Amino acid sequence: MSEKVKILLADDDPDFIEINKTILETKGYEVDEAYTSSEALNKIRATRYDLLILDLMMEEKDAGFTVAYAVREDENLKDLPILMLTSAQEKTGFTFKFSKDKEWMKVDDFAAKPLKPAELVERVEKLLK
Amino acid sequence: MQEQEVKILIVDDDEISRVGCERILEMSDYHVDLAENGVEGLEKIKSEGYDLVVTDLMMPKMGGMEFLQEIRKIDEKIIPIVITGYATIENAVDAVKMGAYDYLAKPFTPDEFRAKIERALEKRLLLLETEKLREERDKNILEHSIEKTRTFTIINCMSEGVIATNKSGHILLINPAAVKMFRIKHVNVIGKKVTGLTSNPDLENKISDALTRVTSKEVLERFEMTTPEGRVLQSNITPVINEKKECIGTVAVLIDITEDKKIEKVKTDFLNLVSHELKAPLGAIEGYLNLILDGITADQPEKEKNYIQKSKDRAHELLELVNDLLDLTRAEKKISSKLISPVDLSGVIKETFDFYKNEAKAKSIQFNIECPEKLPMIRGNAEELSRLFANLVSNAIKYTPEKGQVSLKAEKNNNQVYVYVKDTGIGMSREDAAKVFDEFYRAKNAVSQKISGTGLGLAIAKKIAEEHNGYIELESEPDKGSVFTVVLPVVDKSPAENNELLKRGIDGHKTNI
Repeated sequence: MSEKVKILLADDDPDFIEINKTILETKGYEVDEAYTSSEALNKIRATRYDLLILDLMMEEKDAGFTVAYAVREDENLKDLPILMLTSAQEKTGFTFKFSKDKEWMKVDDFAAKPLKPAELVERVEKLLK
Repeated sequence: MQEQEVKILIVDDDEISRVGCERILEMSDYHVDLAENGVEGLEKIKSEGYDLVVTDLMMPKMGGMEFLQEIRKIDEKIIPIVITGYATIENAVDAVKMGAYDYLAKPFTPDEFRAKIERALEKRLLLLETEKLREERDKNILEHSIEKTRTFTIINCMSEGVIATNKSGHILLINPAAVKMFRIKHVNVIGKKVTGLTSNPDLENKISDALTRVTSKEVLERFEMTTPEGRVLQSNITPVINEKKECIGTVAVLIDITEDKKIEKVKTDFLNLVSHELKAPLGAIEGYLNLILDGITADQPEKEKNYIQKSKDRAHELLELVNDLLDLTRAEKKISSKLISPVDLSGVIKETFDFYKNEAKAKSIQFNIECPEKLPMIRGNAEELSRLFANLVSNAIKYTPEKGQVSLKAEKNNNQVYVYVKDTGIGMSREDAAKVFDEFYRAKNAVSQKISGTGLGLAIAKKIAEEHNGYIELESEPDKGSVFTVVLPVVDKSPAENNELLKRGIDGHKTNI
C-alpha cells in the first residue's frame, strides 16, 4: 500500500471527531474532518476517500441521510463505503433499525455512538476490505 | 278496614225492621246509621260516606230501584244489599241489575243477615284495595316519567357523547355531545345503524362485538377511533344485560381526547429531544474514557489530560442541561402556584448587571447599564425574573466577540416596563430568529458552533415573561447584533390593592393589570 487509507469523519460534535480521529490515526489511517453535511459533501467531491464515517443528526435531524443519498446518486462516488454513527436510536424515538431499513438508508453499516475503539476499528476494517 | 270502623247505613220505612237490623249489626261492632227513606238515605250517604248500604225496595218518596241508581252516582264503591219482603226472583234480579251486590228475603235470621254483611264487606275491602293499588300505580307512573325526564336531562347535558343502541345495533338515543362529535343531524340517525354516524367502521364493529360476545356487565370494549374530521374519540362500549342475562342493546360513551393526544405528542417529542440532548455529552464522555482506558493515548500524557478536561466540560454541560430542564419545568408551572410578591425590577436588573460585569470584562466587552433608580413594581416571582435577565445577558456576552458591546437598559412606558438587552454580537438570520425561542434550537453557523449552550436559555426566558403576562421581542441582523426587548405589565395600584391582587393571584386567578 503506497498511499495511506483516507477516511472522512463527518460530525457536528467536535468531541466525537476528536475521539474517532485519535482511534483511527493510531491505526495508521489518514483522517479528515467535516462539521456539517455541506462541508462533508464538498470534501468528498474534492478528494478521494476510502471511507465516510457519517453522523446522522447534524444541522438537520436527518442530515446524514441527505449526505448518504447524495453520495449514492453521484456516479463517481456511489461506491464509497459509509459507516453511519448516531445516538439516535429506537429508544429515543427513532424507530428505524438497520436490519430492516438498510435498503433506504443507503449506508453500509450503522452503529450507535460512541463505539468502543476496538469495535470502531473492526467495523472500519471490514468496510475497507 | 281493620283499623277503621265499618259504617253501615240501613234504609227502611218500617221501623221494626230498621231497628232489628241495627241491633244485629251493633252486636258485631259495626257503626250503624238509620234512614227512613231514600231521600234521607242519600243525604246521609253524601255527608257521612258508608261502606255498606242495606235498603228495602218498597219505600215511599223514592223507590228502592231509583235509590240504588242514585247511590252509584255518589260512590260506586258503596256495596248495596237489598232486603225485600216479596221474595220474588224478578225483584232480586232487577235489584242486582240496578247495582245491588246481594239480596236478602224477609224474613231472615240474624246469622243469615250477618253472613250477607260479611261477604259484602269482603267485596268492599277488595274494591278499596284495588283502588289503592291503582292510585299507587298512577303515582308511580308519574314519578317514573319525572325520573325519565331527569335522566334525559342529565344525559343531554353530558360533555361525553352517549349513544344507546338496541340489540340489532340501531340507535335508540344519541345525546347532543355525540351529535356534535360526529357533526350530524340528530333526527336523521334515530332508528338507524351507527354506520350513518361516521365513515370509520370501528364503532359499528365494536358495537356488534359487544352485542355478540357478552359475558359480563363490565365495560367490554375500550378503544380509540378517529373521526373523518380528525377528532380522536375514546370510546367505551357496554352491553346492556336484562334479568334473563340476555343482551338487549349497548351503550357507547365517547370522550373527545383530541387535545390530550396533541399534548401527549408534544410531550413525547420533547422527551425524545431531551433524551438525545442528554445522550450527546454522555456519549462524548464515554468516548474519551474509552480512549484513556484502552491506553490509546497512554504515550501522550498531554493529550490524555486534554481529554480528561474535555470530559469534565461535557459533564458540566450535562449538569447545566439538567438544571435548565428543571428551570423550564418550574417556569411552566402556573404563576398562581408560585411565591408571588411585588418585585423591584430596578434592583433585579442592577444585580444582573453586577453579576455579569466580570464575565464581560474578561472578554474585553464594554458592558453598560441604564436603569432608573425606581421602576414601578412588577407582580411576580423575583427569582424567575432574575433568571430571565440573566439568560438574556449571558447570551449577549456569549455571542458577542471580544471588544464588542453589551448594554442593559430599562424604562417605563404606558403602564409597561421595557428592558432592552442589546449586543454587537454575531446576530442571526430571520429564519433563526423565528425559531430561537424553541427548546433546543441553536442557530448553526461557524461561530455559534464553537459556543456551548443547552439550547434552553431563551425558551426559559420566554416562558417566564409569558407567565408574568409579558412577552419578549427580538430584532437581529447577522454580524451586526441583536436586541432582546422584555415587556412586562406594571402593577399600577395602591399597596392595599396590590395585596388584594396578590391574594387573588395566589388563589389561582390571573388578573389583568
